Amino acid sequence: MSNDDNTREGAQWDGDPKSGFDPEPAIESDPIALLPGDSASTAGAADAVGRGEGVGTAKEVEGLSQGQIVWSRFLRHKGAMFGVAVLALIALLSYTAMGIGPIPGWWKYQSHTATSDIVNGAAPTLSWTGLGDHPFGQDNIGRDNFAMVLSGVQTSLLVMTVLGVMALLLGTLVGSVAGYYRGRSDTFLMRFTDLVITLPVIVLGAVLGKLVNTLPQTLNMTSDQTASLRENMPLLLAVFLGLILWPGLARLVRSEFLTLREREFVDAARVSGASDWRIITKHVLPNAVGVIIVNTTLTMSAAVVLEAALSFLGFGVTDPNVSLGKLISDYQAAFITRPWLFWWPGLFIILIALSVNFIGDGLRDAFDPRTKKIPSQRQMDKAAALLVKEPVK
Amino acid sequence: MLRFIARRLAIALGLLLVLSVLVYWLLTLALDPLDDLRSNPALNRDQLIEVRTAQLNLDAPWYVRYFDWLTSFVRGDLGVAWRSGQQVSNLLGGAIATSIQLVFAATCIALIVGVTIGLISALRQYTTFDYAITFASFVLFALPVFWVAVLLKQFLAIGVNDYLNRPSMNWPAVLGVSVVAGLFWAGAIATELRRQLIVFGIAFAVTLGVLCYALLSGWVLDPQLGVVGVALIGFGAAVAITVIFAGISNRRALYAALATAAAGVASWVGMQWLFLYVPMSELWLLGLMLIAVAVACLIGWLFGGPDRGVSMRGAAIVAVIMSIAVYVDRVLQGWDIYMGASIINRRPIATIGAQTPNLGGDFWISQLDRWTHLLLPTIALVLISFAGYTRYQRGSMLEVMNQDYIRTARAKGLSERVVITRHALRNALLPLASIVPVDFITMIGGAVITETIFNWSGMGRLFITSLTGSEIDPIMAYIMITGALAMIANLVADFVYGLLDPRIRVNA
Amino acid sequence: MSANNPGPKNAKSVSKGLEGAERLSKRIGGKVAMGDTILEVRDLGVRFWVNDDWFTAAQGLTYDLKAGEVLAIVGESGSGKTQSAMSLIGLLPKNGRATGSAKLKGTELIGMNLRQLQQVRGNEISVIFQEPMTALNPVYTVGFQIVETLRTHFLMQPTQARARAIDLMRLVEIPDPEDSFNKFPHQLSGGQRQRIMIAQALACDPGLLIADEPTTALDVTVQGEILKLMRDLRERVTAAIILITHDMGVVADMADRIVVMKDGKVVEHGTSDDIFYRPQHAYTKQLLASVPHLGSATADEDLTKTRLSLVAEGERTGVPMMQSDSSVTPALLMEDVAIEYPKAGRRAAFRAANHINLRVDPGEVIGLVGESGSGKTTIGRAAVALLPVVEGKLTVNGRDITNAKPGELKPFRKEVGIVFQDPGSSLNPRLPVGESIGEPILLHLGLKGAELSKRVENLLESVQLPRAMRNRYPHELSGGQRQRIGIARALALQPKLLIADEPTSALDVSVQARVLKLFQDLQAEYGFACMFISHDLAVVEMLSQRIAVMRHGYLVEVGPTKEIVSDPQHPYTKRLLSAVPVPDPAEQKRRRELRDAILEEQHIVS
Repeated sequence: MSNDDNTREGAQWDGDPKSGFDPEPAIESDPIALLPGDSASTAGAADAVGRGEGVGTAKEVEGLSQGQIVWSRFLRHKGAMFGVAVLALIALLSYTAMGIGPIPGWWKYQSHTATSDIVNGAAPTLSWTGLGDHPFGQDNIGRDNFAMVLSGVQTSLLVMTVLGVMALLLGTLVGSVAGYYRGRSDTFLMRFTDLVITLPVIVLGAVLGKLVNTLPQTLNMTSDQTASLRENMPLLLAVFLGLILWPGLARLVRSEFLTLREREFVDAARVSGASDWRIITKHVLPNAVGVIIVNTTLTMSAAVVLEAALSFLGFGVTDPNVSLGKLISDYQAAFITRPWLFWWPGLFIILIALSVNFIGDGLRDAFDPRTKKIPSQRQMDKAAALLVKEPVK
Repeated sequence: MLRFIARRLAIALGLLLVLSVLVYWLLTLALDPLDDLRSNPALNRDQLIEVRTAQLNLDAPWYVRYFDWLTSFVRGDLGVAWRSGQQVSNLLGGAIATSIQLVFAATCIALIVGVTIGLISALRQYTTFDYAITFASFVLFALPVFWVAVLLKQFLAIGVNDYLNRPSMNWPAVLGVSVVAGLFWAGAIATELRRQLIVFGIAFAVTLGVLCYALLSGWVLDPQLGVVGVALIGFGAAVAITVIFAGISNRRALYAALATAAAGVASWVGMQWLFLYVPMSELWLLGLMLIAVAVACLIGWLFGGPDRGVSMRGAAIVAVIMSIAVYVDRVLQGWDIYMGASIINRRPIATIGAQTPNLGGDFWISQLDRWTHLLLPTIALVLISFAGYTRYQRGSMLEVMNQDYIRTARAKGLSERVVITRHALRNALLPLASIVPVDFITMIGGAVITETIFNWSGMGRLFITSLTGSEIDPIMAYIMITGALAMIANLVADFVYGLLDPRIRVNA
Repeated sequence: MSANNPGPKNAKSVSKGLEGAERLSKRIGGKVAMGDTILEVRDLGVRFWVNDDWFTAAQGLTYDLKAGEVLAIVGESGSGKTQSAMSLIGLLPKNGRATGSAKLKGTELIGMNLRQLQQVRGNEISVIFQEPMTALNPVYTVGFQIVETLRTHFLMQPTQARARAIDLMRLVEIPDPEDSFNKFPHQLSGGQRQRIMIAQALACDPGLLIADEPTTALDVTVQGEILKLMRDLRERVTAAIILITHDMGVVADMADRIVVMKDGKVVEHGTSDDIFYRPQHAYTKQLLASVPHLGSATADEDLTKTRLSLVAEGERTGVPMMQSDSSVTPALLMEDVAIEYPKAGRRAAFRAANHINLRVDPGEVIGLVGESGSGKTTIGRAAVALLPVVEGKLTVNGRDITNAKPGELKPFRKEVGIVFQDPGSSLNPRLPVGESIGEPILLHLGLKGAELSKRVENLLESVQLPRAMRNRYPHELSGGQRQRIGIARALALQPKLLIADEPTSALDVSVQARVLKLFQDLQAEYGFACMFISHDLAVVEMLSQRIAVMRHGYLVEVGPTKEIVSDPQHPYTKRLLSAVPVPDPAEQKRRRELRDAILEEQHIVS
């Protein structure tokens, strides 16, 4: 909401009503209603709550650990499965077609810079019968769009993964220490995140992006060094961007830790003689996993779009590397004459970001047992009809 | 209280200082003011490099340069954009104003639309409508704004401009839009199948009718509201506002709202005369709207009824809507002239800049010009932001609807309408008070991509051009302003929230 | 009512205030006199549509209710008592349906359309909910919320409605009603908020009042006040009351007739005397037997000749240290201890307990009672070193742990155990319960694998749970089972001192009885010293040899159980004891009169 491009940083999802858009709490332990009686079997209706919650859930979850329950809920979430499928397909396609590192792929144009003769007026040859020579078309000097787009996809996936991992590790580490110990580490974290959040993400991203591009000059590198740096630019860019995206996640982890450490089982562990380390790793962290994972996926989705946006502006991935954002930037003028150069990169960005978003949403639903499905009016009418047919059981 | 604010300000200042140091240092690493010269084949290349190095003091270590910058900055000298030679303060003034213009309309629209849809979505949880809205929000989140902007430029700008010169009826599109509109209203307003069908039918018919009339009669070629249009808007708004906020049975409120609408229509005539003889400005417009609201409050008070407050509130909202309608009508009156201007050349939707240079014409023409330039960037910004507000408000409303006091309100016998508008709404909208100021103010500096694509000389573009050109002074000024604004925004948000929430405002 | 305390404003004049007003919502039936039947319920049932099937929450409810009568619907959680009452006004969740018939003054309520129901709600039938803080809208003043009810059902001018609202507030004894009219809910205390709820419910002079656990969320003394208020109002207003509760003491205090429910079915119904003195059904008998009855546990004991209890003098002093045998090392010794919650972020340090002088001998069970905010939980936490002691000296089993560093505490931790209140959050949801139990053993004795499992299984057996349960997860167990796990964990290292922090407060009555019995057995078997913290005096009386009473962070009275229960000295203790309702109507009546006398004596304006 604060930036025009959807480069929302993790900071805005810290569940703080001031700066986030999802006040739904992430995890709560599932309080099955109390039973008058001590049989180790199912629970009854949550009478005092009076909302029909808790009714019938115990049956589904017998014998399973929390992790297993979450996993099975996740698998049943249609949106998330769609996201997983699409993402897997895209990754599979791009890595097999264009190869990974030194291993070549199956696509005939392994390089995205090589030009060839213009075929079919440079229009896409993709049809029901097959891929043809240039399924996504060519640009004005004959470069193959399929190769370019899929290479760009690789860059996006790489950046997304690296950023995700960095945010996850740094965010969890700093957030947990700050949330558990409070004191100085907490103040440091809060001030640092305040600093980072002050500026729009894209601004910091642009500065860092430019930094990466200017590094050869700044550090007076030799041409060999420069060349190898240029090759690994996306990775370097991802690392730098990770430095600005982790504070958001850290804040969330911190607030989760703040809540969890007040829980009674933490006190119980302390009374049992557990050390701080044991409490953090065995008691608090496993219960914070839900929030962490969900928000990491959201950060990753934002990272994809952030990288594309920066590349579009010229501060992200530059020549000789290829990025989906750069493709859109390069070919925006060609929209009228060669629209395929514009549609395909955009489509892939959207698909990747969308899939990751769906996965994140599915994860959130899986971890949060509170969202019970209340049947719609139509379902209730059908059910009421059933009631009329069968008298009181 | 004062001590609290002072403390926060002091911390903010400190943070800004640290920020400035860090960013300056990063910039010295990132910017290379000599990059274009390095590849310059000219013979006196080395000399040029020397000159520029001296000019920008590049030989000094970064902290010396920082200190120089800081001392100047504090004294009010914001530096120079060395490539063009312009004073940064000049650049900034115009940039801030431009950015605010751009962002203001977008935020208002995104807010109103997003919050309303989010609220309705929460009330229709788990229905198809809800799922559709949620899915749409997801897709909008995933859209890269730069991609959308290019599409807008093509379809909305070029496409519409072409259409306006050669209008034709596009039946599939019209039918499609009518169907979508029908589905939307059906899902939003009704829950049972029978009522949904009725609403669908009405909405479909109305949308279809309006679109057909607009396209077939050539209204699009010279869109005008006229007194009829203004009256329709006014009376329609009066009825809608009363139904939602006061209840159809509150006759006094209804009469007050209708009377305000009638007064508005009556004043339309007077307004035309006023516009003709008095040169207008934004200040005038604001003043006139305030007068309208005051009159409306008076009408509401006079019609009274047992709850003066309710009548006044309804009348005031109607007055605001009427004022906007009269304004829009007057602006549109200049459409033909505008289209005929040689620079415009019958292609009104603009894609570049904030206004057309050398247009000439009076205040109203320049207003119209402003709006045509504002159209596309606003749409781009709204598309992205409103999804966020929708999701957020949905979550907030869901949480509120599950609270005990909603159950109490129902148990007291209050109608569902009152339960939602009086009890749920206040609590659900409260968190917005802390988000909206922050969002709005950060967007001022953050609409980087939109400004770049549509070539608006706002803060964002200032940053991009300076970054590309390795001009450090404008960037630092930009960072400082944006940073300061963000911190002020946070302060304001906290303050406003504290004011609105009685649990904080009134202590036990 | 004595002359000094004129009592609430006469309710008849309050309902007269409505006579002139024009009704917006229709009234059902005609005028009702005391003794007329106003509610006829026949075979009422409630079901929920869950997981594609109908689940029956309540069935077969049949009763009649007369004007002026109080009907108590009693049951534990899952009995369906709340849902059956909510179905009368159609306040079921979206997936609920009511079947059967319920006629209010001849008009059928089940299946009424929404608009008609909205005219009945608040007007003919009002509800008082359990949690007054969340049941009132935090952004509107309490006065506005009462006025809202009035103006929805009556055509009233704002000033007229305001006047009536203030009358109502006076009726429920809110101090300074004109001023309180403009207060927000968070500015009032819990008891006052509940009074506002009652005022709101009575605003339109309803024929039927549904009170859903109205005093469960309140402190004992406040509960006493609210019950007294409800009794007084009852005498002056013709409304019938359906009282939904699980607390038999409250039932004995208020009810004329009782319906006992279990698992959605009615197991017994009858007059209050019938149920309490001549219960027929096994469940009723078991229920009554499970309820702790204040005064009965120590009924057979005699008071000692010399008084042994210690009483605090004055407002800000605590009880002095008791004399004792210095040869015995006490399990717990607190000498002039003060405990503070440390500074956390913006919240300043908060001193929760002051001048605590307490001694627990080995093998002794001492009960620590107090209301919310008394500081009793703090003492429990300090005793296991979860909270720092800022003044005085804290010794456990001869070991001074007042300012001990974490490293020094390790050997100490073997000797104490703590059982927490909330079975939902005292076990790590990620770990199988066996691991939770085994953690202390693992950390202190270093046992692993098969040896550890054996120990864990033995512990499970001692708390009467099957051995195979050690692989289950907390969410699969009931509250009672989880609490037993908590006890097993606390006893894992055979501690010398056990702190039980409200261990049964979150459990149903019958479960509570079983867990308490288990507790007693374990204490007899293992012989650990125990500090039993609770707000429930009757429970504490059952288990402890001595009782310590706390108030606002100070100990006000400490002494042998019998003395405290039968012959309290401190004014607060007297008030506290007199407010506890006992599940015996005749005795409760006597206690009420006693309580009135005590309050009179102490000039307490309730």
